[in-house]
Amino acid sequence: MPQLNPEFFVSQLFWLAVFFTLLFVFLWRVSLPRIATVLEKRQNKIDENLSSAKELQEQAMEIEKKINDQINKAKLETDEKIKETINALQEDVSTQLSSLDKSLEKKVSDAEKEILKSKDEQMKNINNEIAKITKLTVGKITNIELSDNELIKIIETHKGSFN
Amino acid sequence: MAAKDSPLKQFEIDPISNIELGGYNISFTNSSFAMLITVLVITLFLTLTVNTRSIIPSRMQLISELMYNFIAQLLSDTVGENGKRYFPFVFSLFMFVLIGNMVGMIPYQFTFTSHIIVTFALATVVFIGVTILGFVNHGIKFFTFFYIPGVPFYMHPLLIPIEVISYLSRPISLSVRLFANMLAGHTLLKVFAGFVVSMPFFTGVFPLAFIVALTGLEILIAFLQAYVFAILTCLYINDAYHLH
Repeated sequence: MPQLNPEFFVSQLFWLAVFFTLLFVFLWRVSLPRIATVLEKRQNKIDENLSSAKELQEQAMEIEKKINDQINKAKLETDEKIKETINALQEDVSTQLSSLDKSLEKKVSDAEKEILKSKDEQMKNINNEIAKITKLTVGKITNIELSDNELIKIIETHKGSFN
Repeated sequence: MAAKDSPLKQFEIDPISNIELGGYNISFTNSSFAMLITVLVITLFLTLTVNTRSIIPSRMQLISELMYNFIAQLLSDTVGENGKRYFPFVFSLFMFVLIGNMVGMIPYQFTFTSHIIVTFALATVVFIGVTILGFVNHGIKFFTFFYIPGVPFYMHPLLIPIEVISYLSRPISLSVRLFANMLAGHTLLKVFAGFVVSMPFFTGVFPLAFIVALTGLEILIAFLQAYVFAILTCLYINDAYHLH
């Protein structure tokens, strides 16, 4: 077995020592710190991104909350406004209705008064006309000149039997 | 010496250039060359793939990071917070054994981890380091490591020698495990490779198919042994911190 031949033991040990030491020092001083920096850098980046993501999420939640608050506020406000408007309109309608009622009533009563007044007037005119006609008729038929006062008296007494 | 076509011939060391230092033969051999290739592969790969230091890694950078995280996780799982200091060492050890095994899987390439002297040297470094660490952390109290609490007193004369022996055999078990796995796997591959040539007609495809499957298995073992080497190192480091 060549492994047990001591001829090259010293050579093997010497070169092993040389190369392993070289490897160890190189890895220790150069390669491993490099990889470590890369890993650290990546971890930092990940942490940074995670924390910024968290921050953004919090901000988003805050904004959402604000939006909801404002929506609720706006809803309340609109509700109140609607109620107010409805109340105002109702009041307006009722006042207008009552004023309309009043004016209508007034107009009706005015009209009634007018009617009564004109009826009276007409009645008076009719009486006068009757008196005139009667005076004319009586004058033509009988040639009796009746004075106006007499005529009116007669007409007044017979008024009921004309109707 | 192995015969010309022996399956063990692949483990023979051939000097590439003869060097002598202070009366010792420190020739640069095919084994040293494999170590050089291993070190170059590891350093170049880990350096070049992470060169851009991009936050979004390329596939190659991802492999380097995976290796890093794999060993970091291993250390933190077994040793905990104290383990961070030994990360460069455990990582170097893991990569050296892993890539050494993988380089050995390339046909005609030498496998230095199949040499007991190499694995034993690595295991001894771990053993001595961990023992020193134990004494630094616990002083003389480190010897209580061999005393198992909660055992009837009359068992101690038996258990303490067993504990001492098991502790002392750590470098042997650690090194022989890796060495034997590599030796057996490569020998087996070579034996079946011999069958491919020597079997008549087309029947050679059967051992060839077996070699293909075995190569897959060997690659798995190459990784597994490197992992075992690393995890046992971690466990020993943990023992140096936490006595029973």
